[in-house]
Amino acid sequence: MNGGWRAWLRLFAVQGTWNYERMLGVGMGYAAEPLLEDLKTVDPVRHTEAVVRSAEFFNCNPNLAGLALGATARAEYDAVPGAQIARLRTALCSPLGALGDQLFWAGLVPLLVGAALIGVALGAAWWALPAFLVVYNLARVATGVWALRTGLDAGMAVGNAIATSWMSRAIERVGPAAGFSIGAAIPLVSAWYLEAIGWPAALGAIAVALTGVAVTRWFGASLTTVRFTLLALVLLVLFRWVLP
Amino acid sequence: MTDLAPSGALLLVIWGTLVGLDLVSVPQVMIARPVVAGAVAGWLAGDLEAGLRVGVLFELFALDVLPVGAVRYPDYGPATVAGTALAADSPWQFALGLSTAVGLVIAVLGGFGLQWVRRANARAIQRHSAALAAGEGGAIRRLQYGSLLRDAGRAAGLTVLGLVCAWVLAEPLARLDRSTALGLTLVAMGCGLSAVISGALRSAGRGGRLRWLGTGALVGLIVAALR
Amino acid sequence: MAIVLFRVDDRLIHGQVVVGWGRPLGVNRIVLVDEQVATSAWEQDLYRMAVTPDIEVEFLTVADAAARLRDWQADVRRTLVLTGDLDTMAALHALDPVTVHRINLGGIHHRAGRRERLPYLYLTDDEMARLMALDAAGAAVAAQDLPTTSPVALKALP
Repeated sequence: MNGGWRAWLRLFAVQGTWNYERMLGVGMGYAAEPLLEDLKTVDPVRHTEAVVRSAEFFNCNPNLAGLALGATARAEYDAVPGAQIARLRTALCSPLGALGDQLFWAGLVPLLVGAALIGVALGAAWWALPAFLVVYNLARVATGVWALRTGLDAGMAVGNAIATSWMSRAIERVGPAAGFSIGAAIPLVSAWYLEAIGWPAALGAIAVALTGVAVTRWFGASLTTVRFTLLALVLLVLFRWVLP
Repeated sequence: MTDLAPSGALLLVIWGTLVGLDLVSVPQVMIARPVVAGAVAGWLAGDLEAGLRVGVLFELFALDVLPVGAVRYPDYGPATVAGTALAADSPWQFALGLSTAVGLVIAVLGGFGLQWVRRANARAIQRHSAALAAGEGGAIRRLQYGSLLRDAGRAAGLTVLGLVCAWVLAEPLARLDRSTALGLTLVAMGCGLSAVISGALRSAGRGGRLRWLGTGALVGLIVAALR
Repeated sequence: MAIVLFRVDDRLIHGQVVVGWGRPLGVNRIVLVDEQVATSAWEQDLYRMAVTPDIEVEFLTVADAAARLRDWQADVRRTLVLTGDLDTMAALHALDPVTVHRINLGGIHHRAGRRERLPYLYLTDDEMARLMALDAAGAAVAAQDLPTTSPVALKALP
């Protein structure tokens, strides 16, 4: 099977056709195309069926999509029954979504963004922001290469490959580290803003912050922080207009 | 707002389009994060400080978002570019409040725009359903390129709208009395902090991560006090 | 209340469930009620991987789950009960309407014959009618994908 590197490159756009019907399905089909090319000469009928399957509904974290892509492509070459491949694909949505979201969106991203914010607040924006981009993308690219290779090697046994992989250990560590990083960033960023405007005025901002936390928690989803902010800004303008 | 030459405005539109695309479609290298988008926009507009101040504030709002599943969320990248353009060349203490207001409106519109793109993608898929059922690779490619183009159009349109708003509001911002401008900035900063605290508490849940969040906050507080 | 959420989501255990709801609700146990998965060891292995070790996962049939609903309700551990389709949740409600009195529609996606009610909710008219019947039978049905979005009552769905 050829086309691995082209498929890996195409995975960068796996969410390109994101939609509410097939979610990442078409993007997966696009990335699968180079991998399935050789099947065309071996078994044209199977190739057509595989292309159809590859673009059906699929949803997971984009950084782990390579595991499903590789595993299902391998299974197509191994002539696994189509219904079984479809069930594997459906079942993979779950761990690849949950593990990827915990590892990246709730882990690595807040960890590194928190570190970058700390860098900016400490006056080191010039190295903190490039470092954030480099470290994140190194981790993301390494994960993507590992995911596609592991999927291609394991085929239908991809579940076992995921279970014995480094991912759950990484999630256990990255979650608390992200909490620590964001926790440390909050007072440092607050000080970075507030010390520039003087502490009496800063007390006003802190009061708004605490009110915002309390009010948005009280009202829940009906009053998001964005709505609260726009409301507060409009109220202030009206107040200044009435009492100039 | 800085007096942007057409070439400068064009660069901001290109940058806004790239960060808008990066949010979901391609390549998700994290230039869509407001702190990055703002720093580069500030550099392009000739005021890095404004870019950092606006970018970090929108980053606090963005940290309240967990992009899991099909949830709708604001698009803070082009919003940060627009907010930075408005704040550039003004003292940030007086510009941040209005920049935040403009940026948040653009970000929310960007979220609705994303929904529109997703629905348009679904309609395109329905139009190609026969070709997809026949396993035509060409149909998959056409859908993919068309969707990327659609999202690029959304991001470019959003950035242009944001820059037009910034251009229109530049004059009122210059005329705004200082105490109102500072008040808006204080409210914006307070709200940004409330967003990041709410998001952090929600993500931490009730387990060990909450303890790590508290420990981090304590360490941050000590470092801030010692500086 | 120890059962903190009854959710219908055809993606079963995924990021929105584990991270989106699991963390803010402090969930300690996820019960996936699905006749197929309850008898498939390899699928259970995959779904088990989706959660962190501090969350217990159980895979049960409707009958087995219904028999244990009262125990989970009395338990101090916080439980999220998840089904992949409406029929399974309706069956749970029929077996224990007192416990299953509030149902969250978290994700039902496109299939032939369904039309969009919300971006994450596609239902046929027949499914909508069955949900109305469930609502009339005492279960408060509302759609909400994440705790940070507003719930939409069944009657407000287009």
